[in-house]
Amino acid sequence: MTTIVRTEGLVKRYDRTLAVAGVDLDIEAGEIFGLVGPNGAGKTTTLRILATLLEPTAGEAEIAGWSLARNPNEVRRVLGFMPDVFGVYDDMRVWEYLDFFGRCYGLPAATRKRVIGDLLDLVDLGDKRDAYVQGLSRGMQQRLCLAHALVHDPKVLLLDEPASGLDPRARVELRELLRELRSLGKTIVISSHILPELEELCTSVAIVDRGRVLASGRISDIERRLRVGAVLQARVLAEGEALESARAWFSGQPDVASAAILPDGMLELGFRGDEFGASALLRNAVSSGLAIASFSRAASDLEELFLQVTGLDEPAAAAVTA
Amino acid sequence: MASRRPRIALPGITAILVKELRGRMRGRRAFVSVTIYVLIVAGFAGMVGRILEESVRQNFGFSPEYQSASIGRGIFISLMYLQTLMIAVLAPASTAGTISGERERQTLDLLAVTPISSLAIVVGKLLSSLTWVFVLILASIPVAALVFVYGGVAPDDLLRGYALLFVTATAFGALGIFFSALVRRSGAATGLTFVSILVATVGLTFVWVFLRVSVPNNLDGPGLAANRPPEALLYLNPFVGQADVACGAEGGTGSWCSIIAEVTGTNPSFGQPVPVALGVAPDGGIGQACVSDGTTTKCTSAVAGPGLAAPDAIANDVVADPASLRDRYWPRSALTLLLVSLGFTVAAVQLITPARRWRPHLPGPRRRPRAKDSA
Repeated sequence: MTTIVRTEGLVKRYDRTLAVAGVDLDIEAGEIFGLVGPNGAGKTTTLRILATLLEPTAGEAEIAGWSLARNPNEVRRVLGFMPDVFGVYDDMRVWEYLDFFGRCYGLPAATRKRVIGDLLDLVDLGDKRDAYVQGLSRGMQQRLCLAHALVHDPKVLLLDEPASGLDPRARVELRELLRELRSLGKTIVISSHILPELEELCTSVAIVDRGRVLASGRISDIERRLRVGAVLQARVLAEGEALESARAWFSGQPDVASAAILPDGMLELGFRGDEFGASALLRNAVSSGLAIASFSRAASDLEELFLQVTGLDEPAAAAVTA
Repeated sequence: MASRRPRIALPGITAILVKELRGRMRGRRAFVSVTIYVLIVAGFAGMVGRILEESVRQNFGFSPEYQSASIGRGIFISLMYLQTLMIAVLAPASTAGTISGERERQTLDLLAVTPISSLAIVVGKLLSSLTWVFVLILASIPVAALVFVYGGVAPDDLLRGYALLFVTATAFGALGIFFSALVRRSGAATGLTFVSILVATVGLTFVWVFLRVSVPNNLDGPGLAANRPPEALLYLNPFVGQADVACGAEGGTGSWCSIIAEVTGTNPSFGQPVPVALGVAPDGGIGQACVSDGTTTKCTSAVAGPGLAAPDAIANDVVADPASLRDRYWPRSALTLLLVSLGFTVAAVQLITPARRWRPHLPGPRRRPRAKDSA
């Protein structure tokens, strides 16, 4: 696999705010790469720099071997971009919309005609060909916008929050569409603050916060690297005060950051140690007389990874994962 | 820079043009607006003609046919003024929303990531908006051509008037597109455009009049030209330019010529300083008496004589005269307006170029951070 999108020390500074503070990315061809982070983390700014819409304050970036600074036009030709908020033109039919962007890329008439038909089939808008763009539903507009980003058959697709504002059904459709595009050989860079949506889709992610990449790579790699620190769940055969004293015992142990009783009677432990530490903790708990029925690591997923990496407090975390 | 492949220019302009015109000309809208415009122009021309005929009948006591040429000129000039006024409203109104509208609808980014150049975006938008205005102007030509029935106006006078109309539309349209690129809201862009047009026309004219009064005026001197404020202050005012076109139709003497004489300090028909202080303009055969109070010159048709019947002969004389100052003022005005259009178009291109790479990386004031970009 070859690297198709590469950034080095990308910095974007507005007067006082540092929107992007040195982002290094290596994205391989054929990947679906997720940029994860809370609102204001610098995802949109990073994507807009990659889309040649913003000039970085410092740093370099390359797409398909073309430098953004020196060859922005070549970059634009290999790039499809779908912004987070996009408008549609009034007074335009669906086919005219695609035809317009086809002309913008200098496609000859015959190619445009063929591509428009293909794309409308791909995004399942074939029967809306002569409908007015502003009359389409939000999900359809999103798909049309995706289609517009594909008229010139780009190698790389940059999608900024593509699923925001879509109902669950439209999201599923979008996900299917992106998988299909990947199978066509496109590299897709997708940003989102909605983690579950990325988790199922992405081959690699970069977790960004406050303009920095905190972790990047395949989800499983990041997980392995972050093995230290996990959420453990324990079922202690106790009720009422006994359960409370078990919680107190756990919270008194080294490496246990927090201990809470869940509504279903499970104990949830924020644990800083590694797997050996967890095993020692269990041994100690058993030897101090706690009746433990189950003791396990909560299934690690992107959301959890994200929280660990960004170290957000509860309310902010809730906002991010909502 | 040199190694860069040029961005798509012509296909880009075509793309924008096709898209915009598809929107503008769709349905009945274009048809209705052209119809309304022509009806206004025709109705106005009819009314002006009637007013002039009546005034001839009442003031001179003879049949308007004898004053046919001057009625024709009157209609022609009124039409040019009316259209200048309408264009001063329509051209900016049609361009001031084009780029800010793309920003408001958040479609500008979609355009900016295509290889289409900022130049193509601006020129395409300007051309498509102007095409619409030009269609209106062209549609009025048959109405304006009716003045040939009256006489007094040569076809080339009409061409001059229309050339200036097109230039006016271009300049005001370019101003609109500049503000559209400068500010984010279409409403603000439209407002700023109209204010600027008022400043460039009425405001500068007012400044000129003020200076004209303020500059010590040697009424006894033979050459008043030296004492005049620069006529360039009035180049942006298409109404003064149309007055010069009208003066050309008048054949060098008449009320419109006296305006130009006042502005330029020279008599269009003789190429000499106007001896306004003498109180009477040189008699060009039509019999105009001009009185000056030092700041403005008022001319009245004091004498009506048989000489009125031959304005064309006079016009021909003037054109044939190499010393003639015909076509001296209005082409300068038109050229200034064109240069202004060019300047504002280039400025608009710069304003919407996403990453202004053509500019060397100078440390300078940065744009204010925008909430959207920092997200």
